[in-house]
Amino acid sequence: MNAQLDTPGDISSKIHPRAGQALTGADVVVQVLADEGLDVLFGYSGGAILPVYDAIFRHNLENLRADGSEPLPLIVPANEQGACFMAAGYARASGKVGAALVTSGPGATNAVTPVRDCTADSIPLVVISGQVPTASIGTDAFQEAPISTIMGACAKHVFLVTDASALEATLRTAFYIARSGRPGPVVVDIPKDVQNTVVTFEGAGELPVPGYRARLRAIEQTPLSDARCAEFFAALKASSRPLIYAGGGIITDGARDALRDFAHSFGLPVTTTLMGIGGYDTTDPLALHMLGMHGTAYANYAVDDCDFIFALGARFDDRVVGVPDKFAPLARTIAQIDIDPAEIGKVKQADWFHTGTLRTSLERLRAWGIAHGFQANYSAWHEHIGQLKSRHRLDYDRQSALIQPYAVIEAINRITRGHAIISTGVGQHQMWSAQYFDFCEPRRWLTSGSMGTMGFGLPAAIGAQFARPDLVVIDVDGDASIRMNLGELETVTTYNLPVKVVVLNNVGDGMVRQWQKLFFKGRFSASDKSLHKKDFVKAAEADGFGWAQRLDDPAAIESTIAQFLAFEGPAFLEVMIDPDAGVYPMVGPGACYAQMVTGDFIASRDEVPAAPLPTVASPTGMF
Amino acid sequence: MRHLISILLQNEAGALARVAGLFAARGYNIESLTVAATGDEEASRLSLVVYGDDAVVEQIVKQSRKLVDVISIEELTTRQHVERELVVVRFAASGLAWANSHARVLSSGSDQCVAEFSGHADDVDEFLTQLAIRATVHDVARSGLAALAS
Repeated sequence: MNAQLDTPGDISSKIHPRAGQALTGADVVVQVLADEGLDVLFGYSGGAILPVYDAIFRHNLENLRADGSEPLPLIVPANEQGACFMAAGYARASGKVGAALVTSGPGATNAVTPVRDCTADSIPLVVISGQVPTASIGTDAFQEAPISTIMGACAKHVFLVTDASALEATLRTAFYIARSGRPGPVVVDIPKDVQNTVVTFEGAGELPVPGYRARLRAIEQTPLSDARCAEFFAALKASSRPLIYAGGGIITDGARDALRDFAHSFGLPVTTTLMGIGGYDTTDPLALHMLGMHGTAYANYAVDDCDFIFALGARFDDRVVGVPDKFAPLARTIAQIDIDPAEIGKVKQADWFHTGTLRTSLERLRAWGIAHGFQANYSAWHEHIGQLKSRHRLDYDRQSALIQPYAVIEAINRITRGHAIISTGVGQHQMWSAQYFDFCEPRRWLTSGSMGTMGFGLPAAIGAQFARPDLVVIDVDGDASIRMNLGELETVTTYNLPVKVVVLNNVGDGMVRQWQKLFFKGRFSASDKSLHKKDFVKAAEADGFGWAQRLDDPAAIESTIAQFLAFEGPAFLEVMIDPDAGVYPMVGPGACYAQMVTGDFIASRDEVPAAPLPTVASPTGMF
Repeated sequence: MRHLISILLQNEAGALARVAGLFAARGYNIESLTVAATGDEEASRLSLVVYGDDAVVEQIVKQSRKLVDVISIEELTTRQHVERELVVVRFAASGLAWANSHARVLSSGSDQCVAEFSGHADDVDEFLTQLAIRATVHDVARSGLAALAS
């Protein structure tokens, strides 16, 4: 269903050139990876995966490209969490399935966090893990861990391959499951003896997985009926203040164009979730940027004011809705489209819903609306939104003697203009990046949205740079987040990737401090790092960064960032920011949007009372 | 509320653990569980009873339906269905005469006897209560529910 996927692995129509050959399980693994169209692998070696690593070595040697490059380069990280986040970054930036190879025991348990992260953010990933030999499983063998059990609770699916003859079909099925429906990570656990067993390579074929396939078919092949379209537009007609609330599903399904065309055709403003950023051009006049706990004030006020909310591939996450009963309190209609039936009505009951793919559903709805002459005049609502955007725009202390993180992001944004790939760690810098960067296209914003995994940013940027060597990739990180996977700085220089790393250093866990200030009377338990000795610039230099600087002069922001981004190779910039800079707006936990705190520099409705809402039903030529 | 859930599951290692895990992750205890192969050797029928909040159980059912190994899943509680449960019980020989007329006696000795009884779970409860009035009950093995929509 993923329209953005090309399927070089689809060889069903012709005989595979190696069909009928006797191959070891390890060679089967590598051949299937090659058939799936992968052009890079990420992984860390170890005893139980050695046969596969050897097979990759031989494959690359025997299939060198004309320019001398390897067809399946294997990128070696500092640890397996890094490898899997690289593969996830590759997947997020490209829309293709990322692949990581790890060894048994600690190698595979290090992969648990990224696997769960990918499930939570619906990212297609295949992790191949070595396992101790079949006969040793369950004996507490060296580097043994019950990976199928552990991963079963975290992954979209997990296979333990105990029968070598099923290995090939299992691997192909793993890729199919990872990319189809609501994407996710699939773990294939392969005992070492299975890797060494010689089998006949078939060159095609997958496992039946009948239930999964039947459900997927039912979802993908159930079109929106005329009656359902009519119901949708009847509800829309009755509204005067409609709003689209778009999530990561837009990006997953390649539905950016369909969403833009739909919103433009009928004049519906669009707010996106953290995961939906880039699914709708943030510089578009109808864009309201992000909603939720740290959404823009104008997006949140628009949610409070709307009378029709249309959720697209968004799951009413707790960071979005806060208190479910008080979310979009004036909305008379909640409409929802999602590919996952379990998301329909999970948090908020939908008055109108469709289980299906977003792109085709939006195209169908738009075509139906146009064919039936649906027209609405939302000009009063647009004017209201325009007022919200100007009255409650994002802002910060522009007079401060300290460097404001927002100013750093704005300076980067003035150069990249919404086209760079931005990855982040988790915390304040993540929210500032979500708020202050423009994103004109999908797959340029890589962040651990649901799991909130600190340490995501650097390895994700590395993976993204492999996926998109043509784009500027910037890891905007925090001093605490980057420490989590700091070892990957060396990976950047080992492969001479032109990744740009910015550390917004506020000497501690800034978001934790913000909550401690607000909810724990300023007791900064374990969140202050002022006694920590790390010299980030020296660390980057030690790892081979040819450009590594510290910025602490507000007057030098523009010039330093220009040099930083212009540097051709890996570059590292530490920015000493105002440690008291906060993330605003903020809808506190357990609060509703009306209780949003906007801070000292963004106007709230307490200061600027709301304009009366447009209520007159719009005249329309329809019905 | 009591929920009776019937699941057709692919016979794969770990499939049962994943279904059970969705309940365990929410702190829900599975009250009873019956699993056995069906006529199709690739599939098992799993009947599961759990007590819990309706909305939460509905969500678990929806999420179970997403598991790759699940072929189909339905809640039987709200539908017409039949449910049976088997109990095998070891009891003092003093209960033999009553057991002979109310259950099927599988073995009898001078001290102890073993009998089986099947029926609706409530009937099984009642059988055990009545038996306990008449003889000391030593061991009980209950099967959990087997259920189908009717």
